[in-house]
This record gives sequence, C-alpha cells and structure tokens, in this order.
Amino acid sequence: MVKRRKSQDKASTDYVISNFAGPYVKWGLLISSLVGVLFPLYWLLLSAFKLDRDHRSYPPVFFPSEFTLDHFIEVFTKNQLMENLINSATIAVVTTVITLLIGSMAAYAVQRGPLGRKTKDFFGLWFMVQKMYPAIATAIPVYLVMRSLRLIDTLAAMIIMNTSFNLPLVIWLMMGFFEQVPYELEESAMLDGSGFIHRFFNVILPITKPGLVASAILTFTATWNEFLFAVILSINKAKTLPVVIAGFITDRGLAWGPMAATSLVTLIPVVVLTLLVQKDFVKGMAMGAVKG
Amino acid sequence: MRLKKRRSDKFACWAFLMPTLIFLAITALFPLLYSGYLSFFRLKLNLPNQQPVFVGLDNYIKMFTDTMLHTSTINTLLFAFISVALEVVLGLMVAMVICSDSMWSRVATSIFMIPMIMAPVAIGTLWRMMMDASTGVLNYFLSFFGVDTIQWLADPTMAKISVLLVNVWQLTPWVTVICAAGLKALPQDCIQAALVDGATPRQIFWRIVLPLIKPVLVIVVMMRFTDAFKVFDTIYTMTNGGPGTATEMLPNFIYKQGLKYYDAGYAAALAIVFVLVMAFITLFFLRLRKKEEENVW
Repeated sequence: MVKRRKSQDKASTDYVISNFAGPYVKWGLLISSLVGVLFPLYWLLLSAFKLDRDHRSYPPVFFPSEFTLDHFIEVFTKNQLMENLINSATIAVVTTVITLLIGSMAAYAVQRGPLGRKTKDFFGLWFMVQKMYPAIATAIPVYLVMRSLRLIDTLAAMIIMNTSFNLPLVIWLMMGFFEQVPYELEESAMLDGSGFIHRFFNVILPITKPGLVASAILTFTATWNEFLFAVILSINKAKTLPVVIAGFITDRGLAWGPMAATSLVTLIPVVVLTLLVQKDFVKGMAMGAVKG
Repeated sequence: MRLKKRRSDKFACWAFLMPTLIFLAITALFPLLYSGYLSFFRLKLNLPNQQPVFVGLDNYIKMFTDTMLHTSTINTLLFAFISVALEVVLGLMVAMVICSDSMWSRVATSIFMIPMIMAPVAIGTLWRMMMDASTGVLNYFLSFFGVDTIQWLADPTMAKISVLLVNVWQLTPWVTVICAAGLKALPQDCIQAALVDGATPRQIFWRIVLPLIKPVLVIVVMMRFTDAFKVFDTIYTMTNGGPGTATEMLPNFIYKQGLKYYDAGYAAALAIVFVLVMAFITLFFLRLRKKEEENVW
C-alpha cells in the first residue's frame, strides 16, 4: 500500500473525507452506528448482572435497582466454567505459540530464502487458497481420523486443528512484513558471517515485532472464539468457552443470566488484549487485507 | 567456501519450511483427499464397525434431487450477496466519517472493534435473547412506534432478515476498520489539489476517494464474500437453519448431513463440491484484484 503522509495539510484532508455528505449525515451516521454497536454490548453486560426476576419482567429492565453476582457464581461452581476457561486459554496460547513460530519460519523461507521464483509463487498461491478454505470441508474426515486416533475430546486435537487453520493467515501476514525489511540489513548481516537461521532469529524477528504482535492477536482471538471444530471434537473434558455458551440453548429455552455471564467471561480477555495492542492489531489486519 | 555456505542456506531454508508443509499436508491436504475418497462410499457414522460400501457417483447424483440442498444454496447465495453489499456500503461510510486522527475517532475505532473480536457464538446467543418475541428488548423498542410484536426468529422471512442483521452488526465494523486504514494511507496531494481547484465534497468522493480506495474495497469484498459462505456459528446459535429451512446455509447443512444424520459419504461429497466452488470464487477474485492492481499502482 502506498504510504504517504504529509502532516501539514492532513487535518483538512481528513475533514473533507469525513464530511463527504455534510455534517448531518456525518453525526447521524456516527451516533447511530455507535449506539447500534454499544447497545447490544450494554444489554449483555446488564443481563450478566441482572436479577433473575428482572430477566423475566416485561417491559424489560434497563436500569436495574439491584445487581447480582449469582450468575457468575453459578457458572463457576455448578458448571465448572474454570475448567473450560483453562481449556480455552491453553488451546489458544499453545496454538498461538506454535503457529507464530513455524508460520514465521515458513514465511521467511518463502519471502527471503534461496528458492526459485516458481517455487515461491507456488507456495504463495497455496497459502492463499488455503486461507479461503472452508473449515467445514475437513470436518467429517478430521472427525473420523481423530476418532480412530482416540484424540476426540483432547486439547491436542483442538490445538492441531486451530494451528492448521491459522497458519496460512500468519504466513501471509508475516510475508508482508518480511517484504518490508530492507535487503541491505540482511546483506550486512550476511557479510558478518551470519547464517540463515541466525539472521532470522537475531536480525529479522526483532524488527518485525509489530507483525508478530498482530499475528499473535489474530491467532489468539480466532482460536479463543473457534466453535465449529470445538463442538465437533469435544465432548466434555476439552470443552471450550464457545461450546459452553452454545450449550445454554436448550429445548426449554435459554438460561439468559448464566449465558450472559459466560459470554462476558469469554469477551473480556480478548477485549483487554486487543485494546492493549490496538495499533499493531489494526495495522496487521489492514496488512492482511491488503496483502491477502 | 561460498558455495558451501549457500548450500547450507538452502538446507536451512527448506528446514524452515518443512514443519509448515508437513503440518498442512497432514491436517488440510490429507483430510481433503480423504473427503474425496469417502465421497464415493456410503458410510453411516452412527453404526459401529461399519465398513464403507462403494456406491460410485451416487452421492454426487443425490445432490441434483436434494431440494434441501437447493434451498440452502439459494439461501447462502442471497445471504452472501446482500450481507456483503450492506456491510461494504455501510462500512465505508462509517470509515469515512471516523477518518480523523482525533481522540474521539480512536475511541470510536476501539468500540467498533468489539463486535469483530467477540465470539460469534456469543453474538448469536446475545441477539437471540434480544430478539425474543415476547420478552426481547427489540420488540419493546418497536412497541413505542406502534409496531406489533415481530416474530424475529420464528417467522421464515423475518428469520432471514434477522440473521442478515446480526451479520451486519458483527462484520460491518471489520469493513470499517480496514477501510479506515486504507483511507489514512490515501495520497493527500490528490485531494488537496482538488480542493484548490474548487471541487465539491461529493465530487471528491466519487472522482478521487472512491477510485483510490477501490483496490482495498476489492480485497474487502473478496474476503467478506468468501467468509460469508462459511457462516456457521451465528446461524447455529440463532436459528440452527430454522424455522423449517428458512435460514439453512451450506456449512450448517453439511454439518447436519455429517454429524446429525451421520451420512459421512454424502457430507464428504458436499464438502468436495463446496471446496471446488470456493476455490473457483477465490481465483476469480484474485484475477480481479490483479487487474485492479495493474490499473491503479
């Protein structure tokens, strides 16, 4: 992407773009979209702390006079949410570490390794198509293989599948970041006698930290939220948070309070994580879109 | 000496690639081939120790007469086209509005990021709660405007609209964030020059901003469109394809064939066709994007 910023006249350019249809449209759109995004989130927060009787009342209670932690206590004691939370965290962290390590290695090999042009193009296209791959297409065979390997309901099975689905994206992202590293830097390292592996870990990785951070967040979030394989491959022991949330939908209706509490427990870690590294995250995602 | 060094580099390079290649071969390529193999057999997953029976092309022929499949294909196509159109138009508009370096625009960006990092399952259940016909908050709001109780998820037409609505809520922010990043990278001098020449904001949008942002839009449309075909989590939690087959989409349909009706052979055949179609769409977009890149950059 062309990156050209001129600070002196930026304010007016931004102003022109953001007022493309006049101030009424601008503020109307901004306020309605913010309310549209925020209200459901407020409702989730409210439902998690609302008393049971407020859940059933009509008209709905918008500003409850009393709050309760019962729903959280219920899910953590009766439903063993702690186990699911630990499962989710373990799967997401291990997947992120593995994906980042082998993904960035592969990306570096394809981007800067001594491979032929055709080989590079082939790998590039492969990872690209793989990125678009619908997960459901592998669901049945993966289920059968995992069943015969006795890996159903294990964390290992989930880590393997999540790594598989996140690898192409991470490779693609990191290839974009490695592309921006100036050749001179590598050449001078080469002249100092540093080999391929040494160059990668000591010269390249430290300066592509923003890319690593963005890849890590994307992988972590995707794995943390992953549902399709989680519901297929887990029965009880390896259940993750999304599976628990979906489990609140029963024939008798939804258990709103515990459901909202669990959703909130699921949402908060990724929100905190994303806000901490928002700049790198946005940059990485934009890179992914432009490159991918 | 030099040659030896280069050879060791080449070895290291392949060593770097190997873990990924082996991993993807086992976890992505092999299942796909296995799907291809299974698609020629009849295999019921619920019967233990059952041997697959070779049925030739039966599973593929079945697709032509399976009306449920036809319904869910049409549903998925409609869903993909409408949701992507809505999300891109709305997303770009909001992106332009928040295009600024000021404090409030950064706060707005942070807020917009929440739906896209929220677990889709949680989004589905949350909206299911708000769309409840009798106690849901949406109907309560609408009652102020004299609108009668809407059966958000129980009426076939409304259910289609509801899943679209939720998808728009979930993914418009994604479009916004990407487009906002694209807008910030626009060359400033074009717009400045147009301003000096006295162009109106409308002209600047149609003649300058839109053509310049088009490559980003093509990619956004490509990613959103291919993603829309994979919609599963929110459908599963909100309607599970119901009422009837009103919101049945292909991933959910394949899932049901395989893991609810235990017809592994048919599900595998469906998966193969699905992957082929997706690959076709991807290649189409890639070609489009290449053309776009040649035109602009």
